[in-house]
Amino acid sequence: MQFGAADLGIAGLDVLMEYEDNDLYQLLDLGIARCRLMVAEPVGLAAKDDPKSWTRVRVATKYVNLTRRHFAAKGIQTDIIKLYGSMELAPLVGLSDRIVDLVETGNTLKANGLAEVEHIADISAWLVANQASMKMKHAGLKPLIERLRQAVAG
Amino acid sequence: MSDQDRWLLPEGIEEILPDEARRLEQLRRRLLDQFDVWGYELVMPPLIEYLEALLTGTGRDLDLQTFKLTDQLTGRLMGVRADMTPQAARIDAHYLKREAPVRLCYVGSVLRTRPDVFAGSRELLQIGAELFGHPGPESDVEIAALMLATLEAAGLPELHVDLGHVGVFRGLATAAMLPESLEGELFDALQRKARARVESLFNAATIKPPIRNMLLALLDLNGGRDTLARARTLLKEAPRTVHEALDNLDSVANAIERTGRPVYFDLAELRGYRYYTGVVFSVLAPGQGQAVARGGRYDGIGQAFGRARAATGFSADLRRLLRLTAGNAGMAAAIVAPGDNDPELDQVIAHLRAQGERVIRRLPGSPVSVKTLGGDRELIRQNGQWTVKPV
Repeated sequence: MQFGAADLGIAGLDVLMEYEDNDLYQLLDLGIARCRLMVAEPVGLAAKDDPKSWTRVRVATKYVNLTRRHFAAKGIQTDIIKLYGSMELAPLVGLSDRIVDLVETGNTLKANGLAEVEHIADISAWLVANQASMKMKHAGLKPLIERLRQAVAG
Repeated sequence: MSDQDRWLLPEGIEEILPDEARRLEQLRRRLLDQFDVWGYELVMPPLIEYLEALLTGTGRDLDLQTFKLTDQLTGRLMGVRADMTPQAARIDAHYLKREAPVRLCYVGSVLRTRPDVFAGSRELLQIGAELFGHPGPESDVEIAALMLATLEAAGLPELHVDLGHVGVFRGLATAAMLPESLEGELFDALQRKARARVESLFNAATIKPPIRNMLLALLDLNGGRDTLARARTLLKEAPRTVHEALDNLDSVANAIERTGRPVYFDLAELRGYRYYTGVVFSVLAPGQGQAVARGGRYDGIGQAFGRARAATGFSADLRRLLRLTAGNAGMAAAIVAPGDNDPELDQVIAHLRAQGERVIRRLPGSPVSVKTLGGDRELIRQNGQWTVKPV
């Protein structure tokens, strides 16, 4: 998208937040594929844990930048372990106590003995546009974007 | 690093090999010649200097983009330039001290700690022109026209111009008396055209409805020529500075349209907001996700060097321009001459070279073909005369 390989696209807010310097127009929240970006940890730990007391945490996630930013904003140091899937296994095998991941129903977390402890952001799919395309092809793109806007609002 | 990968260059750093280097140099000369006939004087600022001088008036953006090292002589921090514009401004404000408008141009390498685009280069060959000492739209028009002429000379046929003016947002933000933290977030949301985010920011703050509606209107104030007319209506109650910005934009747009280029307006285009003070323009080319040249007005940068001066200018990456213009210069035509020890031959070769011919002399050793040596003709002795023969 950034290269201009596509003029318009649909991207999850999680990806847009992870790659903050993406230079894309975030035109419209399509309101689909809704889920939450959460910090989770084993149920046993969650029972006695207080997120306010954290100073340094080890976290497994695929959202390296966004996780670091989230914790840094609260003054918490992070040791991040980048994983490419099945985040919920990290606490089970002792890689890290905590994970940052997308949660839709919460069933996967529950099945793996994990509990949500912190809410980072509500995630959904967004309509995005390449900046140069918007400027060069606005006559064609604008009506399409407007129709999508109406469809989402309606 | 093992022996095998000693040739590896750092990420985003590249070498330019003969064919490309030749075309690049031709392009560089062509563009500098053009700057010259437009009356722009060439300057050659240093590659490295004290950090404070490099970062003047550019905000944090350039700080993180600048490679730094400690000067072993003074212990002060030095930076490798990431942009030559502040250097040109310093030359104008501090060294030239002329009252009349000054036109400067430059070309040189700049280094960036991180590429501007994903997998982009970190070493750019920046070429640009700056006009100091004139605050009116006429100088913006001149710079925009020179920018288009430059890109045209580089062989980019189809160009779109994107115009904006940071004075519009600045005027409204000042009138709204936004708290600093909110201004930053609003700025970010506007830049991404994230309407929902802009609205939720407004809901969290108390801003008077007329200003609030005008700031919201910026999201829609983009498009073709009608954009300015719509802006006049929607921003009717805006402070005077906003209307001056629109007038300024109008005159620049008229001048560009006379060149037959499609113009796109975007009043929420805020790239380089901390740096620019007036009209901002960028040039887009089909198939390119990023602008191929950028520029605008940045009055006041000279202040830090002791003399505030109106300033407007543009710059582009010469390597990128070259890559956008397809084509292969091919091997240059050359005459291959024998290595014979013959004064008469030396004279003939000197004569040919003086005429601008490329003459390659054979070296003793393995005999190779004229073609392998890069030649298309050969200098041979015929009937006691040295003659050039095609192969």
